[in-house]
Amino acid sequence: MQTKPNFTDHDAFYEQLLAAHDGLTEAQSAQFNARLILLLANQVGEQQVLAQCIAAARKPLAAPAQGT
Amino acid sequence: MGAPLQTSGYQLPVYPFEPPPELRGEPATRYPVVIIGAGLCGLTAACDLASRGVRAVVLDDDDTIGVRGASSRGIVYAQKTLEIMDRLGLYERVREKGVTWSVGKTLAGMEVVYEFDASAQSASRQPPFINLQQFYLEWYLVDRIMEIANTDLRWKNQVVGYEQFADHARIDIETPAGKYSLEADWVLDCSGVNSHVRDTLGLDVRAMRGIDRWCISDVRFKAPLPIERWTWVEAPFNENRAVWQHLMADDVWRLDFQMDPECDLEYVSRLDVAAERVRRQVGPDVEFELVWVGPYSYRSQLLDEFRVGRTFFLGDSAHVMSPFGARGGNSAIQDADNLGWKLALVLAGQAPESLLDTYHHERRPAAQFNIMTTRRTSRFLSPESAQEKLFRDAAISLAREYPFARNLVNTGRLSTAFSYAGSPLCGAGTGLALAPGAAVQNAPITLPDGSKGTLADLFRDGCAFVGVWVGAHALAPAEVIRFANQSAPGLRTVEMDGAHLGLSRIADSEGRLAKCLGWDGSAPVFVLMRPDMHLAAALADPTVAQIRQAYAKARGH
Repeated sequence: MQTKPNFTDHDAFYEQLLAAHDGLTEAQSAQFNARLILLLANQVGEQQVLAQCIAAARKPLAAPAQGT
Repeated sequence: MGAPLQTSGYQLPVYPFEPPPELRGEPATRYPVVIIGAGLCGLTAACDLASRGVRAVVLDDDDTIGVRGASSRGIVYAQKTLEIMDRLGLYERVREKGVTWSVGKTLAGMEVVYEFDASAQSASRQPPFINLQQFYLEWYLVDRIMEIANTDLRWKNQVVGYEQFADHARIDIETPAGKYSLEADWVLDCSGVNSHVRDTLGLDVRAMRGIDRWCISDVRFKAPLPIERWTWVEAPFNENRAVWQHLMADDVWRLDFQMDPECDLEYVSRLDVAAERVRRQVGPDVEFELVWVGPYSYRSQLLDEFRVGRTFFLGDSAHVMSPFGARGGNSAIQDADNLGWKLALVLAGQAPESLLDTYHHERRPAAQFNIMTTRRTSRFLSPESAQEKLFRDAAISLAREYPFARNLVNTGRLSTAFSYAGSPLCGAGTGLALAPGAAVQNAPITLPDGSKGTLADLFRDGCAFVGVWVGAHALAPAEVIRFANQSAPGLRTVEMDGAHLGLSRIADSEGRLAKCLGWDGSAPVFVLMRPDMHLAAALADPTVAQIRQAYAKARGH
């Protein structure tokens, strides 16, 4: 998993990501995010790297407490 | 279950009950092998053992093939199954009766989002798939078993009690002529999902009931439909749930409709309700007749141990999975294919009893793999949360535009031969791309007598391992011949392509054997194949001692 900067233009990416959500409903935004994740995942391709990315994204989000 | 079941359009054979010797006052004998259950799995095991000269007793509680009337049940037979049926001598009947196909299409709405043609990459004489109602395959197996004529098929013999001891098992049986017991050295439990033996032994199957509910309809249409596998993820004519459409023998179509998980299974399987559903799919003008209708609830379960003492568990008694990808029947047949030769060798005193444990080592991972694979499909077809539905919608919408996303649309990954890589029987793998443990496809070859045949022809007799010398080996022919004749009973050795050791020759006339082995034509290789046509070892430029070692290992020594 690449954790050092790898963007050719990070600020432009971030701006475009936000702009893409303009005018979308909550449901459309969710659909957009899901489509984007799948498109980007195919750019990465390598399953080990993808698994590391999924784990890193999940890490700070605590698992629900037992019994809830 | 308990819904109305309909049968029409098929005439199934009925096999007579004959009082067994134990009920005719003959002295009790202990049998080497008893198979419980004459379904796909038990009959394949019986036929395989019969072909290896092992006399087995088969117990079945019914007197015909099929269950629940003439339900089509398992309908897609994959290449490895077809190759096994070729080795057992009934492939031609399957091919003549069944429907050979290779094109699959997945639709969302009325639009094709994914399409495959499995015919291109195959080196085998057998096609990737043939569709056939399960009871026909069972029927052909019974015919073949009776033709070989060394198996004791006992119909209307229901197992009601079971106990096992250190060196045998006792089976209590109820028949129309009364009760009796028999003893067996080894028992193959092929009695299916509700195994009495398994429950009597108190073995847990870790059952997981899925939420999936399906209604299966076998339908005969007056007008022809395309001979392709069509699967809808979201069918507009089925409340945007999944639908499968497959052609089988006798112009009967198999239509599987995914139901609301909360539905009333009896209601949705009523003939008038099922007919209305089919009518919504095909429109007002197509004439059709319902041949069979019934509900299914999917589940998965898996035994911890596939061998327990004197008892082996095969097919549904060992593992149950959702039917996606046709993995139930095909894996049951591969279970039988895996155990048959091992049992025959042990009974003949040619292998240690520990060889039998490798049935568990090799087939349980296959079952685990199948359960994982079908669960993935199930999760795609029945999203369990809003997020899961969101990603499915994303995958389908992307699939309409981009090829990469079509691979994510999962309506079942069709069964392929499982590789036993990592098995204790596997030897070295050098000189070939194919890894030890993998199945070798049934490539067409020219046989030693000059006739056209297939690789399976070399495996037909008894428990043959087959060793092929490929390429220009530098060994002294005399040493190789001595090894072939004296040191390796049960190993049939042949040579091809540049090998000149004085052995029987085969020719890879279409280059398909080299293709499926992944031999690049450079280094000479000795290819050792097991009686189930899986690769045991590949040895680049070996000594005879290395071959002897690999052959011993492949038999569990």
